[in-house]
Amino acid sequence: MRRPTDAERQEWEDNGVLFLENAIVGEDLARLQTTFDRCAAEARREWLEGIAKGTRPAAHFDIPRPLEKDDVFIDLIDHPGWYGFLMDFADEDLILLAPQVRTLPVSPISYVGWHPDVPHTTPLHMKAQIYIEDVPADGGAFGYVPGSHKPDAGACPVVRPLDSMPGHKVYPGKAGDVVLFNSYGWHTSMVNRTLKPRKSIILIYEKWSKDRISTKHFAAIAHKCTTPDRRRLFSLDER
Amino acid sequence: MPIIDSHLHVFEKLSDEFPREVNDQCPADRAETAEKLLEVMAANGVDQAILTQIGGTQLTHHRYLQYCLKTYPNRFRGIGLIPRDEWDAPEDHMDRLAENGDIIGFRINEIGGSADPLSQMDVRTFTSYRIWKHAAKKNYVMWLYIRAKDAHQVAFMVRAFPEIRAVFNHLMICPGEGMFSWDGEGRPHINTPVPPMTRYSMLGLHEYPNICVHLSGQYAFSQEAWPYRDLESWHKTLLAKFGADKLMWATDFPWILEDPGYDKLVQVIDELLPDLNAQQKAEIMGGTAKRVLGFPDVAD
Ligand SMILES: [Fe+2]
Repeated sequence: MRRPTDAERQEWEDNGVLFLENAIVGEDLARLQTTFDRCAAEARREWLEGIAKGTRPAAHFDIPRPLEKDDVFIDLIDHPGWYGFLMDFADEDLILLAPQVRTLPVSPISYVGWHPDVPHTTPLHMKAQIYIEDVPADGGAFGYVPGSHKPDAGACPVVRPLDSMPGHKVYPGKAGDVVLFNSYGWHTSMVNRTLKPRKSIILIYEKWSKDRISTKHFAAIAHKCTTPDRRRLFSLDER
Repeated sequence: MPIIDSHLHVFEKLSDEFPREVNDQCPADRAETAEKLLEVMAANGVDQAILTQIGGTQLTHHRYLQYCLKTYPNRFRGIGLIPRDEWDAPEDHMDRLAENGDIIGFRINEIGGSADPLSQMDVRTFTSYRIWKHAAKKNYVMWLYIRAKDAHQVAFMVRAFPEIRAVFNHLMICPGEGMFSWDGEGRPHINTPVPPMTRYSMLGLHEYPNICVHLSGQYAFSQEAWPYRDLESWHKTLLAKFGADKLMWATDFPWILEDPGYDKLVQVIDELLPDLNAQQKAEIMGGTAKRVLGFPDVAD
């Protein structure tokens, strides 16, 4: 399992974001890509029906309950490519909040403007965005304002257009690259101006706090979480 | 700045002079006239209004609307409708309605592209394309109450015609299929999550300079009585994203006359956006509509 170097830890502290090249490769990546496509195809009709009813967003397509659909998604949660980083940043006490197995359609606008996910009153909140296919800068790549995760950053401004945000950085990547970011910081999905939908998986984690996730929340996959580490990660036991 | 009610409906009893379609909401003997509207506007300090066509899309169906615009030229501007079977060649219909300059735009509820957001989007194949194209050419306003399954297509059309002034009706909410019903008072009710799921396709439109949003129709989406507290946070989101200079207050008269009453709708912005400064409030209550829709000075 990879652990952050001192330089990487410093970068994380300073910027609130860390880009990990080739965090998942080879067989692991190939299996993930195949499974992503199969599960997305299976879930597509229900998504389209939900769009028409106004109960699902059209601007992004998340596969519902992915952890129950294939073990490949469970194995991502503590994948050695990034799990060690998140454990380190969370002082070895990390829980999963949710996975988002997400396809982002092409659109002239971003589905979400610049925003932080949580206020500083929330325990350390982090996300790992895994690129399933290559994501060019204009293909819905992740954008972040390095340093905006700090408590003195102030309120996130509304900017027009999206790419006029002062100090922002765009993170294009190859399939298997991962962006880790502190969700106090301002971030967005840049506009996907290509002809190809973006495929990525966003894993949402937090430093453990009492009663944040119910022991029942991930009960459906409890039988696949037999090690103490996993039982903690998925909040399966009372603490 | 004037107070402008930027979206509402008037209609006369069915007659040869004023033909219209009849339904449960607008039976043949029901009238909600411009005179009744002007009375209630005057009682509440409202100066001007947008009359949005109701009762049919044919040219003849617009006669009462045209009568009102002609009779009260400094009070009203109009929004017309286009028969669905003319969308592939709507230009003549649009121009005939707009020839006096008082019908300034057209309302549609469909963009008409692919319902699957993952398919390729070519606006030239969308059913409403010719309407947009002609609106761009003639500087007509697009009045939009878009169904949920078309929400993701809007941005493609706006990108193609960024110069068009487009006004999203009723809090930019896009009604879902099968989510429409009539409430106990015979008014439309839309069962929708608020904030709406379609926000992911819509809020980003604030980047375009000619996109406006109506703060109206609360009664149709709220699960609560006036002042519709459950919609407060969505009003704040719209304000934060678009700014007061892109928001327009409206009542959707006559559907609110009995419940909660026109006077209550005049106060609804104070209730749901209590932190506005005077300038912002004036923009929302009429300044935006006057500037964007080109109302004449009331005193003229
Ligand atoms: Fe976020």
